[in-house]
Amino acid sequence: MVSKTVTIVNEQGLHMRPAGMFAKEMTKFQSDIFLDFQGKKINAKSVMHIIAACIKCGAELTVECSGEDEQAALDKAVSLIESGLGE
Amino acid sequence: MLNGIGGSAGYGIGTAVLISEGKPEYTPCEVSDAEAEIKRFEDAVTLFTERTQAMADAMRETVGEHNAEILEGHIVMLSDPFMQDEIKGMIRSGSCAETAVDHVCDMFISMFSQVEDELTRQRTTDIGDIRVRLLKILTGTPEVNISEVPPNTVLVAKDLTPSMTAGIVKENVVGIVTELGGKTSHSAILARALEIPAVLSVENVTSMVTDGMTIAVDGCGGSCILNPSEAETEEYRKHREAYLKEKEGLEVFRGKPAVTADGKQVRLYGNIGSPEDAEAVKAGDGEGVGLFRTEFLFMETDQLPSEEEQFEAYKKAAEIMEGKEVIIRTLDVGGDKDIPYLGLSREDNPFLGFRAVRYCLANEASYRVQLRALLRASAYGDIKIMVPLVTSVEEIRRVKELVADIKKELDAEGIAYNQDIQVGVMIETPAASLIADLLAKEADFFSIGTNDLTQYTMAVDRGNAKVAYLYSAYHPAVLRSIRNIIEAANREGIMVGMCGEAAADTLLIPLLISFGLGEYSVSATSILATKSTIAKWSKEEADRLASQVMELSTEAEVAAVLKANKR
Repeated sequence: MVSKTVTIVNEQGLHMRPAGMFAKEMTKFQSDIFLDFQGKKINAKSVMHIIAACIKCGAELTVECSGEDEQAALDKAVSLIESGLGE
Repeated sequence: MLNGIGGSAGYGIGTAVLISEGKPEYTPCEVSDAEAEIKRFEDAVTLFTERTQAMADAMRETVGEHNAEILEGHIVMLSDPFMQDEIKGMIRSGSCAETAVDHVCDMFISMFSQVEDELTRQRTTDIGDIRVRLLKILTGTPEVNISEVPPNTVLVAKDLTPSMTAGIVKENVVGIVTELGGKTSHSAILARALEIPAVLSVENVTSMVTDGMTIAVDGCGGSCILNPSEAETEEYRKHREAYLKEKEGLEVFRGKPAVTADGKQVRLYGNIGSPEDAEAVKAGDGEGVGLFRTEFLFMETDQLPSEEEQFEAYKKAAEIMEGKEVIIRTLDVGGDKDIPYLGLSREDNPFLGFRAVRYCLANEASYRVQLRALLRASAYGDIKIMVPLVTSVEEIRRVKELVADIKKELDAEGIAYNQDIQVGVMIETPAASLIADLLAKEADFFSIGTNDLTQYTMAVDRGNAKVAYLYSAYHPAVLRSIRNIIEAANREGIMVGMCGEAAADTLLIPLLISFGLGEYSVSATSILATKSTIAKWSKEEADRLASQVMELSTEAEVAAVLKANKR
């Protein structure tokens, strides 16, 4: 498993649009991908779970990927979050 | 008789079509061929996605990007592989697709309803919508399609959402009755634009009405009758005829100046939301545009409109009006008007927050683009610049500085514009009203925005049904405020207009005449009626009524006296 801690930078946090975009990108990977946020493990491929977690701007979370393409998945997840998810 | 709020004038009698967003009935059953059932579910999802995308695309055209995105969010949510796996899992263990969808949506609704964050909790409504529409597809229940209602329909709904109203065919709908909303809600504005009689805020009406019931709608008085008796039907028919006849009678005012009974002329203008609307103002006999809301330019795109795009829009309005006055309000974002790409953060009190001129002056670079486009367009007609939500003298001074600065730029570049372009203030806050005398020394003109002025003066959220009764321009506080603004402007010799709903209010017009209002800006469809009301009052008669009304101490007393003196 590989993991990295990142900070949410987009102002509105992970609401519908960025969460949907992020989850969609994550489903392209074989690996299991979870967001560890305040002790909860959120399935990063599920837009519903991401939205329900209410992740706001400035929140820190850890992306955890495990599987064949784990490094690629982690890199993608981190770059998406750090770039503000298109917002 | 059921009472509500008259949202759009006129009378209509027709057959109820209940726009219900309720869950369709289904009988849960055991499924033997799970794979076939999963296929049925997947087909439903495909159809859901196609239909939703089509709706979103249509809405992007008619009501703008923001509403379209809400619908597209439904597609995103339903595409969640986790959610789909849950549903398929239930089907594999023997449930039918309906039960599985219903159950899994329930699960998510309960998950979301426990979230503390208000915005996130609202997603339960979206999941509820997804569930209803998916179940309708699975059970073969037809989806509500307002565009297909038969002629002579009275639409009955909790509230009309933009997605529903987008499909209304004016010819087939004779009335609208809703449980929510007030005079300035989306449903009301739309109904007036389509000239369909509407009664809003009728308590529990959706549970009292069944499809096929006859309903008589009185959009003037704000009431409706379910299953009217023959006598009542006859009465409504008479009202309807009289109303239509009156409307026809207004035609004699077409093309004539707006004058009081004793010959004092005022300016009678129309409000518009896009350059094309200026055609409707002209068709409605307006002598100018008293309010051009520029938000549409910003809402219809996903980025700031360029100077060129804005210039073209303003120029077009000016050209359609052929040299007549066109007052253009600079961007009034915030409050209830969100423009997603501007990235405004969510506020606890958006109406008291970062909106309109406050936003514009803090984002000077993009404000300059709008002002420059306005100045350039002023070479093509009589454009005036109006600044919304002003609360202090500094704000109007700063805008005027920016305008002066941009004029220098244009001079240096040799670009034409109107050197004497006027910059005015929209008076819509108690602060602006109280310092109207000071603002009148800085501004070239005033326009009173009665909707916000009433809301801020009365400290009432006009969308909140529990306190909406307080929202009234007849309240002595609002009337005093309006009088103060008009008097301050007239003392300084600047033009003073009104661009809110009140300017078209038959009951208020005599007071406005008495106070000395110089310009009335109303919706294109109200111009002739306003002209006819103005013609019924002489200044002296209006003064007599005003001095009586301004002595009264309650809103109810004012309303009663104004009604008794209605002409």
